[in-house]
Amino acid sequence: MGRKTTTAIIVFFSVLLCTLAFHTASFAGPIAGKEIKIGGIFPITGHGANVGKREAIGTQAAVDVINAKGGVYGVPLKLFIEDTASNPQEGVNALRKLAGDHKVLAIVGPHYSSMGETTFPLGNRLRVIQIAVASSKPGLAAANRPYAFRNTLTEDKVAGGVIREFKKRYNIKKVAIMTDIKDAVSKSVGTQVLPPAFKAQGIEVITGDKPVTFQTNDTQFKAQITKLKAMNPDGIGLGALGPDALNIITEARRQGMKQPFMSTAPIMEGELPEKGGKAVEGTFAGAYWLMAVATGESQEFIKAYKKRWETMYTGPYTEKPDYYPVNAYDAVFMIVEGIKAMCVSNKPGELQMDRDKLMYFMAGLRDFKGVASRGFNCVGDGVKDVIVCEIKNARWEALR
Amino acid sequence: MFLQQLVNGLTLGSTYSLLALGFTLVLGLLNMLNIAHGDVFMFGAFLGLSFAMLGVPLYLALILAMAGAGIVTIIIERLCFRPLRKAHFLMPLLSTIAFGIVLQNVATQIWGSEPVRYPQATEITQFQLGPVLVSSIDIIILATSLVLMLGIDQFVKRTSFGRAMRATSEKPQTASLLGVNINWVIIFTFFVSGALAGVAGVLTALVYLQITPFIGIRQGLIGMVAMVIGGVGNLRGAMIGGLIIGIIEVMNDAYFTAGYRDIILFGLFLAFIVFKPEGLFGTKER
Repeated sequence: MGRKTTTAIIVFFSVLLCTLAFHTASFAGPIAGKEIKIGGIFPITGHGANVGKREAIGTQAAVDVINAKGGVYGVPLKLFIEDTASNPQEGVNALRKLAGDHKVLAIVGPHYSSMGETTFPLGNRLRVIQIAVASSKPGLAAANRPYAFRNTLTEDKVAGGVIREFKKRYNIKKVAIMTDIKDAVSKSVGTQVLPPAFKAQGIEVITGDKPVTFQTNDTQFKAQITKLKAMNPDGIGLGALGPDALNIITEARRQGMKQPFMSTAPIMEGELPEKGGKAVEGTFAGAYWLMAVATGESQEFIKAYKKRWETMYTGPYTEKPDYYPVNAYDAVFMIVEGIKAMCVSNKPGELQMDRDKLMYFMAGLRDFKGVASRGFNCVGDGVKDVIVCEIKNARWEALR
Repeated sequence: MFLQQLVNGLTLGSTYSLLALGFTLVLGLLNMLNIAHGDVFMFGAFLGLSFAMLGVPLYLALILAMAGAGIVTIIIERLCFRPLRKAHFLMPLLSTIAFGIVLQNVATQIWGSEPVRYPQATEITQFQLGPVLVSSIDIIILATSLVLMLGIDQFVKRTSFGRAMRATSEKPQTASLLGVNINWVIIFTFFVSGALAGVAGVLTALVYLQITPFIGIRQGLIGMVAMVIGGVGNLRGAMIGGLIIGIIEVMNDAYFTAGYRDIILFGLFLAFIVFKPEGLFGTKER
């Protein structure tokens, strides 16, 4: 055996030994560090404060559940929450702080589409994923590939199912559309989602491409309802958030209109059935999670949420979870699944690589089993099952 | 439909008139703008709601909310105006902005950020008068506003205290030399201004059905627009300015799109400030 051959054999075995040593080491603890940092961007103050707090509780509840089971390979998760103050500019600051100062792996949030419109482009520049929990304006994630994800169902997907049932129930032949023109998602529902969805099912839209309009948080809707009443439709399609929908429907009943209303997920925000009483009975909408239709995973979520609520943002406005905190809760589990599946190292020097790994994981996530989430489609929007709901006995009830 | 929209506009406008009246009272007296006025309006609405929730009848809730909002405005005077009478002229204005934000956040702490609903707001009677449908709430709002507006107008015109108010507004030093207790006049004017905002808050909430701590922001601005259009410091101008704004707002929503509303209203505001600063009825003419 020549000297060269001996050296080659020694080098080969040394390399093999080193590789094995590192490999074994990586099995012993595949995650570096004392904690895995994730971020949350929510409206904790300002007009979205209540729902933002619920989302924060939902996110923290997921972290609690995961940490109680030993974290990710023994390393606990740590959640950093930043407040957007319900203001898109603050959302940008919050994102910079989480990505730059706290160096989080991934972010749950933001809430609104109008917030996503400012934070998603920045997330692409900073190369960190955001999983929005309420934004449902069609096309927003698609316009912000690859780091923007939304664990929500866009309104066009909700609308079709709801309209089918609405038409069947009330024998609807012609509808009028009334829409918010300030709130991003409501405007998109009223101007882009509902008109083609009605037409696709053979329903005439009397308002054509000029729906009756209002602005978020308007103080009164008398003018609009007087106008709608004169049109005499069979039903009304609403592009509105829950609180405005409540005022609109109540004003319609005050002016003697008896026609039913329908909308998509946003009107389910804000306790419409409880506050609306008789006026809102028979209103249709769609959702993908309802406390009333709770499965096994849901029960675990509700339990974790209630436990966390006792020490976090405790109050009457945060006590009951709706589907936004469910989305946030599921998003944390998605991130954890990604950390495991993509062998995220959590080493400070590999932060960008880890963030990219999570982006690729989410982009391909199709078979997730969450409380109300099944993964993302090819443009980063959530995949979920639609539950068509009707207001009955002062609460939302699933039709099927 | 036009007549119905006109009635809608008058009901809406009458609450704006009450707000504009409050603005103009303080501005006319002290030459000072109380930016927190819109938030006092919001606070009044919440106070009315809290009393109504306790089972207090509407008229009593209205009076209590007026008193509460009036007291808040006296606090504004003591905190944001009186210590700053000799400060830079912008200081009171800035301090009321701060006070308004504090008030919004105090309300958020007490009542939460999500809309709170007025109890039994839907159980009202409707009257069909020809082509026009008027509700009992509309009548309450129009009647209350009208009585308050005329009452204040007559009070300032005919009573001795009203005369003292006018004197203080025109020449405070001379009024003081003539024995008018200026501090009392100021406190009283602030109280009335706040009480008007409070009553406007409750009345708006009756139409609006539900309120949030943030409703005061836009309402305050609209009150200012109404005041400028009517003529700063002019009581009757503020009343008519409010009605005009209400009608414009409703007609815009009925015949155009809601997106034009603020362009028209605030465009008008700007146009008046630049081209007709004395408003429709002249400045400080009582």
